[in-house]
Amino acid sequence: MTELLKSLRTWPWHIVAPVLLFVAVAVLAPWLTPYDPAAQDYMSILQGPSWAHWLGTDYLGRDLLSRIIGGARVSLTAMSIVLLAALILGVVVGSLAGYIGGRFEVVMISAIDIFLALPSLVIALALIGIMGPGYWSMIVALTLAWWANYARMSRAVVVAELRQPYIEAARIMGANHLHIFSRHILPSVLALVVVYASADAGALVLAIATLSFLGLGVEPPTPEWGQMLVDGMGYLEDNPALVILPGLALTLVVVSFNLLGEAFALSKVPRPARGLTLSRRRRDRAKEEAARAQVEARP
Amino acid sequence: MTEFSRRSFMLATASALAAAGIPFQVLGAGHLTLKIAILVEAGNIDLLQNISGLNTYTLVFDPLIRYGAGGKLEPALAESWNVSDDGLTLRFKLREGVTFSDGTPFNAEAAKWNLERWMGKSDFSWIGVSDAMESISTDGATGLTIKLKQAVPAALLEFTIVRPVRFLSPKAVDADGNQSAPVGTGPWVITENDNSHTVLVRNDAYWGAKPPFERIELLVVPDELARANGLRAGDLDIIGGDWVSPLSPRRARALESEGGAKIFADTGTTTMLLGFSPRADAVVADKAVREAVYASIDRAAMAKVLFEGFADPIANLFPPTIPLSGKPLPVPTRDVAAAKAALTAGGWEEAGGSWTKNGAPLTLSFLVSEESLPGSRRIAEMIQAMLAETGIKAEISSVDNATMHERRPAFDYDLTFFTTYGAPYDPHGTLGNMFLSNVDSGPDGKIYASPELDPIVMAALAAPDGPEREAAMQAIFDWLDANRALCPLVAAQRLWAYGSNVKTFVLPPTDYDMPFEGIELNG
Repeated sequence: MTELLKSLRTWPWHIVAPVLLFVAVAVLAPWLTPYDPAAQDYMSILQGPSWAHWLGTDYLGRDLLSRIIGGARVSLTAMSIVLLAALILGVVVGSLAGYIGGRFEVVMISAIDIFLALPSLVIALALIGIMGPGYWSMIVALTLAWWANYARMSRAVVVAELRQPYIEAARIMGANHLHIFSRHILPSVLALVVVYASADAGALVLAIATLSFLGLGVEPPTPEWGQMLVDGMGYLEDNPALVILPGLALTLVVVSFNLLGEAFALSKVPRPARGLTLSRRRRDRAKEEAARAQVEARP
Repeated sequence: MTEFSRRSFMLATASALAAAGIPFQVLGAGHLTLKIAILVEAGNIDLLQNISGLNTYTLVFDPLIRYGAGGKLEPALAESWNVSDDGLTLRFKLREGVTFSDGTPFNAEAAKWNLERWMGKSDFSWIGVSDAMESISTDGATGLTIKLKQAVPAALLEFTIVRPVRFLSPKAVDADGNQSAPVGTGPWVITENDNSHTVLVRNDAYWGAKPPFERIELLVVPDELARANGLRAGDLDIIGGDWVSPLSPRRARALESEGGAKIFADTGTTTMLLGFSPRADAVVADKAVREAVYASIDRAAMAKVLFEGFADPIANLFPPTIPLSGKPLPVPTRDVAAAKAALTAGGWEEAGGSWTKNGAPLTLSFLVSEESLPGSRRIAEMIQAMLAETGIKAEISSVDNATMHERRPAFDYDLTFFTTYGAPYDPHGTLGNMFLSNVDSGPDGKIYASPELDPIVMAALAAPDGPEREAAMQAIFDWLDANRALCPLVAAQRLWAYGSNVKTFVLPPTDYDMPFEGIELNG
């Protein structure tokens, strides 16, 4: 804990702060929105910024600030669910493939390769085409489109770790598979995939917005940035704020997450999860592994 | 390598510029051109193929009978006609002295040849007279008789539509009988046609009144903002229409407020309405729910906010511009209390802002496809909020066109948008296709269908022209209103905009026609 507190001073706050701000806004959305994001007021449609509506109103008289804030919550929630699910699925499948090996590994790697060969969004679109549009089918589709990278990275780390002498030592001492995996391998796997996930979060926010833009994701009256973008298109000429505001929000969030991911990868920020407690020697090695796995994982 | 002196370069440039300017000079001197924006390229304009937009055909090809303003039938290639009392024989007297633009005479033989290309063919069985055709015969050069197996109530109206019923020169086909060039008897002749523009020149041999200008250019401009800018810059003279190059109400207001272009808006011929699923186990099978939905909607706010005032709130199935559209019903004002009272009377119980009946919640599935009906999602959002104030939860399900066309015929929805066909197809088109339980309505589905309604619609469609049909039609509208079978919303107005080159603008009879008749340009 003291190590964490000490390291706080060395954190690049200009990179972490925008992401924290986004998360804070999303979590506190119900208390921050001045209006119900879905409340329509036909007496004040398409208004510019004023004291009553800081960012103005849209074509149904809904408060834009409230919709942007509400949209942050929707994006964060959907992104977290997909990321967590893809991470769990990817780590489980990848680790098992690496740990068990043999024919199982070959089959799993082929499956992973098939998923990696196709662009994620194409997979997601195809799956939504099968399941029909809607919030939960978007979540499932994105999870299935996103897990393969994590599986591939996890497998690479597991295979590398298994060759280490201390695994051999643990085996000789009679440790069972579960112990070896959870105590000696999983921390290294997580240290890598969590870093990757932090950079992936931005891409995922964008994918969610893209699907909603196409009318395949979040349904009204839930505010969502991609949906706000497409609905505002018809007003681009006279009320560009309807398009610029959600576009700007989306851009800032994506850029923030990408910067955070980069900072993580370059170790400006201490790794989350078990990576924090690793010894310097092991941390360096994990870093090397990570770099190698990332190169390998690149399609 | 030859070196150009500065002088020869200047000379060459100047002469090139002068040469480039010549065609425009010539055009400017007495050659008036009407420039109309079209959404997509005109295509091959084949009368038997469903590729081209219908409007371009109307410049080149004539019908036997024209659909005039307000649904009045006017003579075109047929000077007169009559229908036998049993409705089985149609006799046309054709206009004399008409030639196709390639010089081929138009006579009874040419007309018969044209009709035989589509009448009685399975591809065109959706047209009543084609489905019922028994024989076509000629009587001299101007007599044409069509015999039918059974009476077709809207037979004459069907001869006013665009494709495939208009007339092609018998010489404009290849060895296989396929159309090789769009040669008709109409007021315009196509001289250039590619994917960016179509040029038409006046047909000086045209049998009718000749247009006061010589050229029409149809310019393909797919983007609405680009069309508006083209109009502002004078590169375009006319934009708008449902099918030519749609103009949104918002853009129309913007153009109007700038003062450069003029907007022409007129009562529309189509109704946008909410259809209730005819499925017996749907929540909306309960009339109380339909009453509540009907009373919850603020049609005036919808017309004002989403259509910028370019729409008329409506309670009838058809707007008054459609013949036989029935007595106008008063447009209901929004009444949440009445909506709640209807639900309470229907046995629904309110608790915590939502309704339940026998433990089942009042949740409606609202099928919307922005792709099928642009702008419909915004309208759906508005209706969703209005229903929410009554305590009715509407779950919007936005789908693509293909899914819409699957779910609509299967009645897999509680609420969905419908648009009536409009002139010249109505009232028969919408009533005959979307209100009969035993008719295959195809991917468009049915607005409402019930065994009780079937005989009423059938009787009206078969009723002889005149007061009898009017009464039979009114019986349909009365039944629909008494059973709250549908929820009409607004009739969107027909919107066109024209620039300063246009002196007078005249709205074409239907939105399937291309505007040019009666239009005058500033010389």
